[in-house]
Amino acid sequence: MTLPAAPVALAAGDEMPTEVVGPLTRTDFVRYAGAGGDFNPLHHDDELARAAGRPSVFGMGMLHAGMLGTRLARWVGPDNVRSYTVRFTGQVWPGDVLSLDGRVDAVEPGEGLPVARLSLTVTRQTGEVVLRATASAVVAAT
Amino acid sequence: MIDPAIEGMELSTIRFPVERGKLAELARALHEEDPAWHDRGAATAAGLAQLPVPPTVTALVDHWRAGGPLADVTAIGIDARRLLHGEVAWEYLAPVRVGDELTAVARVAGVSRREGRRGGTMTFVAIETEFTNQHAEPVVRRRDTLIETGAA
Repeated sequence: MTLPAAPVALAAGDEMPTEVVGPLTRTDFVRYAGAGGDFNPLHHDDELARAAGRPSVFGMGMLHAGMLGTRLARWVGPDNVRSYTVRFTGQVWPGDVLSLDGRVDAVEPGEGLPVARLSLTVTRQTGEVVLRATASAVVAAT
Repeated sequence: MIDPAIEGMELSTIRFPVERGKLAELARALHEEDPAWHDRGAATAAGLAQLPVPPTVTALVDHWRAGGPLADVTAIGIDARRLLHGEVAWEYLAPVRVGDELTAVARVAGVSRREGRRGGTMTFVAIETEFTNQHAEPVVRRRDTLIETGAA
């Protein structure tokens, strides 16, 4: 999948190509900390995470929100995303394999080009949904 | 306990650059293999006039916050050990480009409380940040909902 420049044609019911990422490691969390700037020790210091009552370190929400965001951008084109809202519903742990999915709920008339309403999820290998998102994107007229 | 009087409080104003090297790191951290995220030639070949930025590019502001990424959270009295990130909403008003200098102005937009299912009071703090570019053009509006879970 390449990055589309122009708005793409989408219709209600269309699905984003599913992507599977993982198994995630502590290194993935540390790499995101370096890239994104989140150095909350709960995400890289196992000893501290256990002392805080967690089984281990866990991924920062912005890691999987970011992963889903770039897949959204590759699907609809980075300049065509108008809004992206993520709700964190669970945590991501070392060893997790994440499935990134999305679909078109509706396509509505916009100012000029139509706007697609999208819903997206990040799901762990256990079936637990750890992130639910909605987004809107400008799409091509059909 | 978070003081409800923080509602409306102005937080830090941060000016920061959108750099290609940092975007390459971000793309790699997000398990993106496509070189078009950081290589101008690859982006041009994909038909993009400029290098794209990921929808969560505003995360880069955290590198430039005086006192570290959690400085604002600490300033409003949230206990970082009980902090959960509930929700983030981005609204994209104009494209962000590599080479831009963005200014982020943040304020506390709302504070509310709710009884947690497992006891203890959960406090919800909404933080709104407006990002403008070097031409004073608003480019992204972001709203974060932070949750401080009840004391154990």
